[in-house]
Amino acid sequence: MVELDHSFENGKPADYNWHAILDLDRLVPCVQGGRVVERTSPSEAKAEVKVKMGAMSMTFAGTVAVVEQDDSSKRAVMKVKAREVGGQGHANADVAFELNDGGGKIHTAAQITGKAASMGEGVVVSVLDGLIKDFTQRLQAI
Amino acid sequence: MAIPPGRYTLGPDDATLTVRTRKAGAASKAGHNLRIEVTEWRATLDVADDPARTAMELTADARSLKVREGTGGAKSLDDDDKANIEQTIDDEVLEGAAIQFRSRRVAPGPNGTLTIEGDLELAGATRPVAFELTSGDDRRLRGSARIKQTDWGIKPYSALFGTLKVVDEVDVEIEGTLPA
Repeated sequence: MVELDHSFENGKPADYNWHAILDLDRLVPCVQGGRVVERTSPSEAKAEVKVKMGAMSMTFAGTVAVVEQDDSSKRAVMKVKAREVGGQGHANADVAFELNDGGGKIHTAAQITGKAASMGEGVVVSVLDGLIKDFTQRLQAI
Repeated sequence: MAIPPGRYTLGPDDATLTVRTRKAGAASKAGHNLRIEVTEWRATLDVADDPARTAMELTADARSLKVREGTGGAKSLDDDDKANIEQTIDDEVLEGAAIQFRSRRVAPGPNGTLTIEGDLELAGATRPVAFELTSGDDRRLRGSARIKQTDWGIKPYSALFGTLKVVDEVDVEIEGTLPA
């Protein structure tokens, strides 16, 4: 299990960020290579993320669901369950958002298996950290 | 052996022009060290009686680079992977811009070696470059230059959020047989 903490600032009111982040159609494309395949309910979607690795790429497909949602504290937890397309790997994560005026904090607890994990935990941490930092950059414009 | 005076024209039929790249970064295991061949190029070497008056010119088609080999990766490169890399070179690295080298100064060294200094146009910028050209008794020619991509304003390719990158310095090699 890899746990990472990040924060983002976008100067927008907490209410705005709260509604933006709970809208999976807006949130998922903030992950580089991410797209919603099908919205299955207001709080759940089928999605995929294509990760380019130089010449090669890996696609993870699965679900993202809002599993905890506290409107008063503006804290939400999303559960990501994904499988490597054409491979044996998995990428599962619980992503907790705590929002406030101007931005928020993100705590990620992820479990990666398969080819991606075979590169070693240090590599997984570096890549995930890069992915989430890129995600926080995109949240500035959400 | 010194190259006999004369005008020589070289191209893919007589020699290979190769670019070698190396990978770096935390996720470098996912990438490959590449041997890339330039398949459309032409060089002229005017060897004067006074070697110091020798001149060299080379032009190459930036869209003719072909990936011949990838080593050191977790998985070997297939034809699609190679085509992807070539597309990336075209779209994001060289962008099809003119490649041209023209010598400014040639200094003869021991055993017929020529130290060639000149200007290399690459990706829209022109910068000086120097390399040694050697020739053997069997008319084999060999030279190599190390090119730092950022000196020509090229941003070295990176992927996986910067954890997999191509090292800024790439090696360019020319090797072949001097035409009769």
